[in-house]
Amino acid sequence: MSVINYAKRTIDFKIVYYGPGLAGKTANLQYVHRCLPHANKGRMISLATGDDRTIYFDFLPVSALTVRGFETRFQLYTVPGQVQYDMTRRLVLRGADGLVFVADSQFERLRENVESLRNLETNLREYECTLDEIPHVLQYNKRDLPNVAPVEYLEFVLNRRARRVPFVEAAALEGEGVFDTLNTVSRMALASEFGSERRGHDEAS
Amino acid sequence: MKLRDTVILEQDAERIHQVLMRFLSDSGAGEALVIDRGGQLLAMDGGGQALDAVSISALAAAAFSSTAAMAQLLGETEFTVLFHEGAKRSIHVSRVEEEAILLAVFDERTTVGMVRVFAKEASRAVGAVLGEARARPRPAGEFAAPLNAAESGPAWTPPY
Ligand SMILES: Nc1nc2c(ncn2[C@@H]2O[C@H](COP(=O)(O)OP(=O)(O)O)[C@@H](O)[C@H]2O)c(=O)[nH]1
Ligand SMILES: [Mg+2]
Repeated sequence: MSVINYAKRTIDFKIVYYGPGLAGKTANLQYVHRCLPHANKGRMISLATGDDRTIYFDFLPVSALTVRGFETRFQLYTVPGQVQYDMTRRLVLRGADGLVFVADSQFERLRENVESLRNLETNLREYECTLDEIPHVLQYNKRDLPNVAPVEYLEFVLNRRARRVPFVEAAALEGEGVFDTLNTVSRMALASEFGSERRGHDEAS
Repeated sequence: MKLRDTVILEQDAERIHQVLMRFLSDSGAGEALVIDRGGQLLAMDGGGQALDAVSISALAAAAFSSTAAMAQLLGETEFTVLFHEGAKRSIHVSRVEEEAILLAVFDERTTVGMVRVFAKEASRAVGAVLGEARARPRPAGEFAAPLNAAESGPAWTPPY
């Protein structure tokens, strides 16, 4: 969960990229890492197998604007998408302040997307949390491929909360939509710390 | 369990700083990091050598969580300590409370036994500060008013 530090004047957020294996989660972080100037990023760590499949997580710390005197910083994580790594997925999810669900837009991957989204909701329960409580966005990735489902169809299948969440069309390998996605989720996470949307506001007042 | 945000006020940071300085001098360790179980760095002291504290925090929290999961598979409630011995520098990680860990980096000038003993004491003291911080209502101050349009623009602007 977010850490507000008055001594250092920083706010830290944890953002987790979730989704089925090969959807492009790692590609998102790699693109962000490639683009940001050194002043705004730390080291990218990938705990991956020899063939580049994420085995535990990727990690990339990035920093952004200063808001009301606090420097905002975001720690980006990806989870391993393969079904058998459910335990590590759950561990990475711990303390997430924002989520990006990276869906693979290809028709033949629809089922994996649905299953992964369901798995996300199950794993959030471990932390007594639901998708409605965590700022999140959907990213429909691989729009550059020919065999993709129409966005309306993906929306119908995946964006089913009572309150629809923002979605971004992306081609993460080329970087399209990557910063749109990151800006959207980070802004949502940041906004949730301020005003009446503030998490824990009720208990605190 | 339900996780909560952490708000560290200046006086919390100062108290933790005192505890960590005491821990470093008692134990002979070189650096001490307080890290939340989600991987965020909460406090750090020492630092003769520059550490990539942000990366270490993410990795240490992950390592601690995966050993905790291993413990569960073995029917233990949790392994409470992690110890990695290097040729020059070693790492000792112990539990502060449910939501945080204390990581100490040390070398041949001290022993894991010394670090362990004093880490226990320091963990209790840091845990007390964090407990108070989490129990306190969130300070309104800068956070009372919603973000205005200027403050909620995109954080990073392409062209990238
Ligand atoms: N055509 C295309 N391929 C992509 C895109 N994003 C990722 N990939 C490819 O899909 C594969 C899996 O990507 P990766 O980021 O490792 O997926 P992850 O398992 O979700 O981390 C890799 O071969 C990527 O190059 C995209 O937007 N378009
Ligand atoms: Mg990956």
